[in-house]
Amino acid sequence: MRVLGRYTFAIAILVVLLVANLVMNPARFHPAAWGTLLGMAAPLIGAALASTPVILAGRGGIDISVGPVMALVSAVVIKVLYLDHGLSSPLILWPAALLIGALIGAFNGFMAVIVRVQPIVATLGTYLILGGLTLTILPAPVGPAPDWLKAMAGGWSFLPLGVIGLLWWGLSRTPFHDQLMAVGSDDRAAYTAGVPVSLVRFLAYVITGMLAAAAGMMLTALIGSADPKVGANYTLIAIAAVALGGVSLAGGKGGLLGAAIGAFDIFLLQSLLTAFNVSTYVLQVAYGAILVTAVVLIAFQDRGTKRSHA
Amino acid sequence: MADLSATGLMLRPGARAFSATIGAGEILGLAGLDGHGQDAFLRSLTGLEKSGGEVALNGQRIGSFRDAERARIVYVPRDRRATGIFPGLSILDNFAIATAGRDRRGPLISPAARRARYEIWRERLQIRAPSPEAPITALSGGNQQKVLLARALAREPEVLLLNDPTRGVDVATRHLLYDLFRDLAGEGMVLVILSSEIEEILALCHRVLVFRDHGLAAELSGEAMQTDQVIAAMFGRAG
Repeated sequence: MRVLGRYTFAIAILVVLLVANLVMNPARFHPAAWGTLLGMAAPLIGAALASTPVILAGRGGIDISVGPVMALVSAVVIKVLYLDHGLSSPLILWPAALLIGALIGAFNGFMAVIVRVQPIVATLGTYLILGGLTLTILPAPVGPAPDWLKAMAGGWSFLPLGVIGLLWWGLSRTPFHDQLMAVGSDDRAAYTAGVPVSLVRFLAYVITGMLAAAAGMMLTALIGSADPKVGANYTLIAIAAVALGGVSLAGGKGGLLGAAIGAFDIFLLQSLLTAFNVSTYVLQVAYGAILVTAVVLIAFQDRGTKRSHA
Repeated sequence: MADLSATGLMLRPGARAFSATIGAGEILGLAGLDGHGQDAFLRSLTGLEKSGGEVALNGQRIGSFRDAERARIVYVPRDRRATGIFPGLSILDNFAIATAGRDRRGPLISPAARRARYEIWRERLQIRAPSPEAPITALSGGNQQKVLLARALAREPEVLLLNDPTRGVDVATRHLLYDLFRDLAGEGMVLVILSSEIEEILALCHRVLVFRDHGLAAELSGEAMQTDQVIAAMFGRAG
């Protein structure tokens, strides 16, 4: 009940936007097209999911290198592994992508948790490094992606998101999830209660890196090629989706489901405004307005619950 | 049998060094005016504060908070709101966070096992809560403190360090806690209780250490444990 409470706003928007989209754009939202539809939303949903664990871990935890990780994974998988070395099996490309994500996540975690650089600064460094690295590997878009990967933007688009959902559901029933929420809620109390605070935070960065890599694969699937320039755009819009989905940017509250709903909201808004032929500049205004409204409403809701229990 | 010893502790550079030992089944009280070192002493017993000297449990050195955790020295902090409860989590999760791994059945946590474990402590501590899933902030101060104690006791401590455990707790709950502490000591646990109330220490503890200027001003037990003696030591007028 309380969990649902945090998602109320995101779900309300979801319903309204879904109905509006169904009326405005019945062909695109026909059940037969749901696979493709989800494939189009998948990169943003993936990016939002990726941004969530570090934010849940609290104390200013944030990873703005999610977008560049997506671009780098796309570049390495398509350009280096697939086109240059002819490796096309999903059993090689998926683990390779996840490994890249995990390594970058571990680096971010090392900087933010062990060296204790402020997360936003640490991951800004990674953002810039990865941006340059991606352009060095891949100065211009290349393609195509392997067929199995392209299918993940069509009929199979539910697969990567479904697997992530399943894994997270499993994770949420392990001690790690409890510890993550406790660390995000109050790290001093968590430390006193015997929670390995630094380890938990570090792992949150690694998970974020791996999810970002998965989002990179979904992006590659959608555009059917590797483009060094599109990934980075996802960073900020993903954080907006996370906030919209009721995840507290202070940490300890929310979950992946909320982030996914928030991301889908933004996707629906996008497609609705596109159906109205609204300019992309106005689209930005709409993102900003809906984000501010959501955050304010959630803050009021939080204050309300706090007062009723005080 | 547990035996906690602290030797050559210096609570502040330049303060007088001192030593103390606490045996199994003993309840040791710590008294002193606020900020005179009793807090630092309690925290150094958990390795949270470095005070020179050496802390050891059964001859095993406790150098860090991790050591203390491994040796099952459990510390219950004073400021419940800032360093105790997790306001965003449920009562059940607040209880289980320190021992989350014990509810595992295979790799996953079983909510039923967790609830069963909580029920045992709810009964023993008489926690009055609407439901285990309610947010911890829905509880009264006394019941929040009981949940925190349940969390600490679930770790099966050898040594329980309590920093002002009855602060902001109602009278009925206090007496319940006193009985609990006596029972725990009876089972062979070492208890160290810092309290800002002298009456509480006199009623509960076998021995009291009075701190002044970050040094040990007096050690009182038996007949000498009287309010005026403790107060005199607190204000540095002990003979």
